[in-house]
Amino acid sequence: MTEPSAPTFDAAVLAAVRDSVDGDEAFVLDLVETYLADGAEQIEAITAAAGAGDAGALVRPAHSLKSSSFTVGAMRLGELARSLEQHGRSGAMDDAAAEAAASRAEWTAVRAALRAWMATAR
Amino acid sequence: MTELVPPAHDPAIARPDVAPAADGAPVGTALVVDDSAVNRKLLGHLLVGLGIDVLEAVDGAAALSTLRDARGAAVDVVLLDVEMPELDGYQTLAAIKSDESLRHLPVIMVSGVDEVGSVVRCIEMGATDYLTKPYDSALLRARVNASLGAKRLRDLEVAYAARLAALHETVERQKQELTRFLSPQVAALISSPEGEQLLAGHRRQITVAFADLRGFTAFAQQAEPEELLGLLSEYHEMMGRAIVEHGGTLEHFAGDGMMVFFNDPVVQADHVERAVRMAVAMRERFEGMASGWRKRGFDLQLGIGVASGYATLGRIGFEGRYDYGAIGNVVILASRLSGEARGGQILLARRAQAAIEELVETESAGELHLKGFDRPEPAANVVALRDAPPRPD
Repeated sequence: MTEPSAPTFDAAVLAAVRDSVDGDEAFVLDLVETYLADGAEQIEAITAAAGAGDAGALVRPAHSLKSSSFTVGAMRLGELARSLEQHGRSGAMDDAAAEAAASRAEWTAVRAALRAWMATAR
Repeated sequence: MTELVPPAHDPAIARPDVAPAADGAPVGTALVVDDSAVNRKLLGHLLVGLGIDVLEAVDGAAALSTLRDARGAAVDVVLLDVEMPELDGYQTLAAIKSDESLRHLPVIMVSGVDEVGSVVRCIEMGATDYLTKPYDSALLRARVNASLGAKRLRDLEVAYAARLAALHETVERQKQELTRFLSPQVAALISSPEGEQLLAGHRRQITVAFADLRGFTAFAQQAEPEELLGLLSEYHEMMGRAIVEHGGTLEHFAGDGMMVFFNDPVVQADHVERAVRMAVAMRERFEGMASGWRKRGFDLQLGIGVASGYATLGRIGFEGRYDYGAIGNVVILASRLSGEARGGQILLARRAQAAIEELVETESAGELHLKGFDRPEPAANVVALRDAPPRPD
C-alpha cells in the first residue's frame, strides 16, 4: 500500500466551487454538510465491505466517496477511495482492510479540516 | 455527523428543493445522473441558477427508469457522469441511444479532467457534448443552452408534424362528411385547386333533369309518417343510385322532387345522353317499386322533364349557407316540363331532343304552354332507348 502524497484538504477547490455558484456561501456550506453526511455512510460501508472481503460491495461506496471527495477538496481521501475502488473492481482484496483503516483515519482528518473551514466561512 | 438528515422519500430519485430561477418559469428540464450526492447537488444548483428544472438519478439504471416513466417526458437534456459503478456512463448512453423514444434526447457527458479520452468514445456513441469536473459555470451554460436549443427545435418539428397530421385528418374527415351532404362531384370540386374559380361562378351548357312524383301529396295525407319516410327513403336510394351511375350532379332533393344536372362541374361531352339514360333508368326502376305500393293502395307515378341549354353555375346562397347550383332558363324549362309530364313520361325540350334524336325513340307531346314562357314549347316523350329493349307496357 502506497501512501498518497495529496493534501488532506485543498481549500482552493472549495473556493472554486464557491466562485462557480457566484459566491453563494450558504450553498457551499450546505454542500459540505451533504458531503459529511454521505461520506460517513460511505466510510461505514467501505469498512464493512473490506472487513468481509466483499469486493463487489466495496466498489459503489468507494467510487462515490472518490468523486465527492475530489469535489470538496479532500484530495488524499479521494486518492485512497480511488485505490479502494480499484481493489473492489479487480477483486484483489489483500490491501483492502489496511486501506479501509487508512481511509477511516483520513476521514477523521478531513472532517476536522472541513469543520474548521466552515467555521471560518460562517 | 448528524446535521443533515437524509431525504425520507425515494432516495434513488430526489428532486432538489431549490426554487426555479427568479425570472420566471424553467427554460427546460435536465436529468442529472451521478452516483455522488455532492456532485448532483452542485450540478443541480448550477442548472437551477440557469433557470433549468432539475431531476436527479443516482445511477444509470435509475436514469433509464426515470426517462421511461411519466417524468421522462419533461426531460430536455441528460447530464451523464461517465464513471459510475454498475451501469456506467457508456452503458447508460448506449441504452438511451438504442431506445427509439429516447434517442433524440441530447446527452452531455460529465467527466473528471483525467477521463477526457473516454469522452471521445461517448461522442462517437451519440453524446451531444461533454463537461469536465470541476464545473466551469460559463461552459456549463453554453453547452446546456445549445443542447436545449436543439431539443426545442426538434420538439417544435415534432409538434408541427403532429399538427399537420391532425389538420390532414380533419380535412379528410370533412371531405368524407361533404360527400355525404353534397354530390360527390361538388365535394371533389371544393377540395380541388380550380375549385374556387368554378365556385365563384361560370357559364356553361348543361342538361338538367327534374323528377317528381304524381300523387305524392295525396299519399302524404293518407300514409302514416313511418310509411311516408320509409317510402321516401326507398325512393331516394333508388334515384340516388341512378344519379351516381350516370355521373349526374344532384343539386337538391325536396321531398319527392329532385334536380340533377350534367356537364358540370365535371365536363361530360355526352351530357344530354347521360341525362336521358338516367331518366329512363329511373322510370324503369320506379315501375318496379310503384307496383308494390299500388298493392297497398297508393298510386304514385314519376314524371321527368329534361332540358339542355346555358346556365350560370356556382356558389348560390348567403354566408353560412351556400349551395352549388345552376341558374338559367334551362332550369325553369326542365322544371316546367317535369310539372307537365304525366305519370311515366319523360318530356324532352326541343334542344335536348335534337341532340340525341338517333339514340331514342320519341313521341310528340305537342306544343306546351308553360308558365313564364311566352311561346309554346314543343316537347317529346321518350318512349324507349334505341339500343335497349322497348319498355314493357
